[in-house]
Amino acid sequence: MTLQKRIMQKQIFFSILIAGVACLSSSAQDAYTDTIYRKFDLDEVVVTGTRTPKFLKDTPIQTRVINAKEIARLDATNVQDLLQQELPGVEFTYAMNQQTHLNFSGFGGQGVLFLVDGERLAGETMDDVDFTRLSMDNVERIEIVKGAASALYGSNATGGVINIITKKSQKPVTLNVNARYAKHDEQRYGGTFGLNGKHWNNMFTVNFNRMDNYDVHSASNPVTRIISTVYGDKTINFKDQLVWSPNKNFHLSGRAGYFFRETVRSADQPERYRDFSGGLGMQWNISEHDDFQASYAFDQYDKSDYQRITKLDIRDYSNVQNSLRLLYNHRFDRGDVLTIGSDFMHDYLYNTNLENETRNQNSWDLFGQYDWRISDQWEAVGAVRYDYFSDGKESHVTPKLNVCYKPIYNLSIRAGYGMGFRAPTLKEKYYNFDMAGIWIVEGNANLKSEVSHNFNLSAEYTKGHYNLTGSVYYNKVKNKLATSAPYFKTPIDKLPYLPYANLDDYSVCGGEIGAQAKWNNGFGARLTYAYTKEQLAKDKDGHTINNQYIPAREHSLNARVDFDKQLSKKYGLNIALQGRVLSGVENVEYKDYYDVSKGTITVEYPAYTIWKLSVVQRVGNAVKVTAALDNVFGYKPKYYYLNSPITDGVNFQIGMSIDIDKLF
Amino acid sequence: MKNIFKLFVAAVSVSALTACNNLFDDIYDKPQEIVPAKGQVIIDATSWTDWYYVDLNRLHQLSLEGNEEELFKAQTEFEAYSIPMEATGDRVDTPTPGEENSTITQGKKPGQYMYWFDVFGAGIKNNTFSHFTPTAEQAAPDDWSFAVHRNNVRTNGGAVFETTYTSMTQLPESSEAFKNMKFVEDEWTENEVWDSQEQMLLGYVPSQGIAINRVLSSWLSMEIPPMPPTFSLNNHVFILRLKDGTYAALQLENYLAPNGTKCYLTINYKYPY
Repeated sequence: MTLQKRIMQKQIFFSILIAGVACLSSSAQDAYTDTIYRKFDLDEVVVTGTRTPKFLKDTPIQTRVINAKEIARLDATNVQDLLQQELPGVEFTYAMNQQTHLNFSGFGGQGVLFLVDGERLAGETMDDVDFTRLSMDNVERIEIVKGAASALYGSNATGGVINIITKKSQKPVTLNVNARYAKHDEQRYGGTFGLNGKHWNNMFTVNFNRMDNYDVHSASNPVTRIISTVYGDKTINFKDQLVWSPNKNFHLSGRAGYFFRETVRSADQPERYRDFSGGLGMQWNISEHDDFQASYAFDQYDKSDYQRITKLDIRDYSNVQNSLRLLYNHRFDRGDVLTIGSDFMHDYLYNTNLENETRNQNSWDLFGQYDWRISDQWEAVGAVRYDYFSDGKESHVTPKLNVCYKPIYNLSIRAGYGMGFRAPTLKEKYYNFDMAGIWIVEGNANLKSEVSHNFNLSAEYTKGHYNLTGSVYYNKVKNKLATSAPYFKTPIDKLPYLPYANLDDYSVCGGEIGAQAKWNNGFGARLTYAYTKEQLAKDKDGHTINNQYIPAREHSLNARVDFDKQLSKKYGLNIALQGRVLSGVENVEYKDYYDVSKGTITVEYPAYTIWKLSVVQRVGNAVKVTAALDNVFGYKPKYYYLNSPITDGVNFQIGMSIDIDKLF
Repeated sequence: MKNIFKLFVAAVSVSALTACNNLFDDIYDKPQEIVPAKGQVIIDATSWTDWYYVDLNRLHQLSLEGNEEELFKAQTEFEAYSIPMEATGDRVDTPTPGEENSTITQGKKPGQYMYWFDVFGAGIKNNTFSHFTPTAEQAAPDDWSFAVHRNNVRTNGGAVFETTYTSMTQLPESSEAFKNMKFVEDEWTENEVWDSQEQMLLGYVPSQGIAINRVLSSWLSMEIPPMPPTFSLNNHVFILRLKDGTYAALQLENYLAPNGTKCYLTINYKYPY
C-alpha cells in the first residue's frame, strides 16, 4: 500500500468519525430531495450495524435509513406513525388488552431492540416499549437493521435493531416551532431550541400531543375480538442535551428527559405513564487510530392510575435501568477496525402483579468485533459477545459474521449470519397476575432464553436515477418465549393459569424487494414489497396453541409517488401520494379457552389498503405548511379487529413549521 | 482472565447497585385507608358471590346512642351473605314455553341463570339465555334497608327516586319535596347480578335470579365494551323510601379501594330524611 493511499484512508476514517460523532444534520437543504437524488445518500453515516460510524455505502450490514427530511415529509408524530407508513413488513396492532403491539417481520416487540442514541429503553406493556415516547421531533435519522444482532447489542436483538439518532445543533442559534391539527381534536405542538458555540452545544426539545377518544362501529357477528373505542391520549415530552468540547478530540455530554402520557380508558381512573431519563457520556479521540467512549444512562419508566375522585396518583409499576457502557475502537492503517466494548446494567422492576412486588437483576457483557477490509471489493465483519445475567446465573455467547462484496462500484452484495437471544424478563419469570378474573398469568422462573439464528443475503444496485434492493432472510428460533396453553393446576381451581413457557422451535423467513427513482423533473417514486412467512410456534409437546399475538401478514407493499420542485426562490412544493397494501392473515385461536382439548380454529383477518395524500409548501427558508388527507380513499374496516387499521375514515391534517432563526 | 472479569463485575456492581431505583416517589401518592366520615358507610363489595346488607335504622340508633365504637363497626363491617350456588333441581336448557323473548325465562324462580354475552363483540347488551339451575333463595338478615353486590343494589321492599342533586348538603331540609315523585321499586332480573367470571372468556356469565333496584343500581354502571370493562359513577343523590314509609338520602361517593380495586363502595347516607 502506498503512503498516499494510507493517508487517504486515514482521512476517510477520520471524516467518518467526525461525521458520526457530530451526527451532521442534513436539514440545511430545504428541498425534500430523496436519498437517491443526493447520490443515494452514500455520504450518510450510520452506526447501528457495527457500533462504529461508517458510510452507508460501505457498511457490510444492510441498514435502512429514514432521514430527517423523510420524517418531515411523512409528518409523523411518533415512531409508530413513521414506521408503518414507510416500511413494509412492519405492523402495529393491538394486543388483547388494546395496548399497542409491534410485529416486525415476524418478531414481536420484545424481539426488536429499540434504542435512542444507542441507549435501551426501560419499561414495557404487553412486551412492547412505549412507542409514544419516541416522538419524531428532533430526530436526525432512524437506522433500521433487520436480523439478529445480539453479538453487538445483547438481549432482545433477535429480530432487529431500530436506533433513533437525535439531532445536535449545528448553527449558533436554531429555533423551530411547529403545530398540527387533525380529526378528533388531535393537536400537536413542538419546539426545538439549539445553541452551538465553540466549546458548548445545547439542544432543547419539547412537544405536546393530544387526541380525543373516539368510538368505531363494526358490523354484526364478528368472528373474533373487536374494539369499539380508539383511545386517544395526551403526551408531553421534554429533552435537553448539552455537549462540552474543550477541544476537537474530547467531548463530554449530559442529557435529561421527561415524558408523560395520560390515557383515559376509565374516566374515574386515567392511566398515567412517566419516564425520567438522564445520561452522561464521554467521547475521547485518543489518536488518529484510537477512540474511547464511556457513558452512563438512567431510565425510569413508571405507570400509575390517577384516582380522580380522591385525587390520588397511585404507582403500580416502575422499571429502572442503570447502564454503564465502555467502547474502544482501534483503526489499523489498512482500514481494519477493532472494536472492544463492555456494558453493565442494573435492572429494577416494581410491579404490584409481580411475586414479591420487586425484583432486581444485574447483567454485564463483553464483546469484540473485527472489521476486516480484505480488499476494495471485499469486507468482512465478525463479532462475538459474552452476556451474563445474575437472575438464574444465565450466560450466552453470541457470534455474528457479515460479508460485503462489491464486484462493481454501484453494486453491493451482503451476506451474513447472526445469532440473537432474548433473556426472559423479570416479568416473564415472576409474574402472578389475575387478569380480570379471566385467568392467572403465571411467571416461570425456569425459563430459558429464546435463541434465534438469522441468515441473510441482500443486494443493492444503483444507477443513474434508479436504486434497486433485494434481500432474503431465514430465521430459526428456538425456545420462543411466550404464554402457553392455559391449564388448571387442580380440579377445584376456578381460574385457569396461563403460564409463560419456552415453546418449540419455529421459523420466520421472507424477503424484500425495493425500487426507487428520482428524476430531475422533480418526480420520484418508491415501491417496496415484503414477504414474511411466520410459522406459528407449537408447544414443546407439539400441540398447536393459541398464538399470543396475531402473526405477520404474508404480503405487504408500500408505495409512494411524489413531486418536489422549488418553483421560485421563495416557494417550493412537495406533493406526495403514499400508501400501503397488506394481505389478509390467519391466526390460530382456541375454540374453548377453558378446555384446550377441544382444539383450535383458524380465524381469518382481512386484507386492507390505506393511502395518504400530502402537500407541503415551503415559503421562504423558514416556513413550511403541510396539509394532508390521511386515509384519502376513506377506508373503514367492516370489523375493527385487533389488527385493523386505526381509522374511522378520511382524516384532514393541517400543520405549520417555522424556523424562527431563518426568518431574520 | 477470570479474575479480571470478577473484578470488573464487582466494581460495576457496587457502583450500580447503589444507583437510583424507584426515584421520584414524591410525585406519587400512597394508597390511603378510607375512614368513614359521619354519615358514611364503607363496604368492600368487590366479591362476586356475596351480598352485604345495610341497616339504616341501626346506624341511626347507634348514632343517637353516641356509641362511637359500635357505630364505626357498623359503618365499616358488613357480614357477607353468599349467593346460593348449590343446585336444588335439574338444569333447564330452554326458556319456559311462551316466554321465549321475555326477560323472564323461568317465572322468577330463584337460581342461577346462565346467559351468553357478546363480551368481545357488540357488547353485553347483546345477550341470550343459555340455561337455568334452581337454587335456594337469597338469605338476608332480619332487619335491613338496602343491600349491595358489586354494582347491584336491592332494597328491602323499598322504592327509589333519583334527584339531580350532586351533594348531600344541597338537599332540601326534608324528604317532603320528593313525596310526589315517581319512586321505582325493585324489579326482577336474571342477567345483571353477575356472580362468576369463570367462563367469561367464552362469553358465558351466570347471574343470580333476584329483584334489584335499577334506579339505585344506576349509581355505578359497568360497560362492556370496552374490554376490560369500564365503570362509571353517577354522583346524584338518590331518595330511598323504605317499606315503613320513612325516607333516606343515599349517594355513592366512591367505588374504588385504596389500591384501585373496583366496587369498594363509599356511600353517603342521611337517615331519617
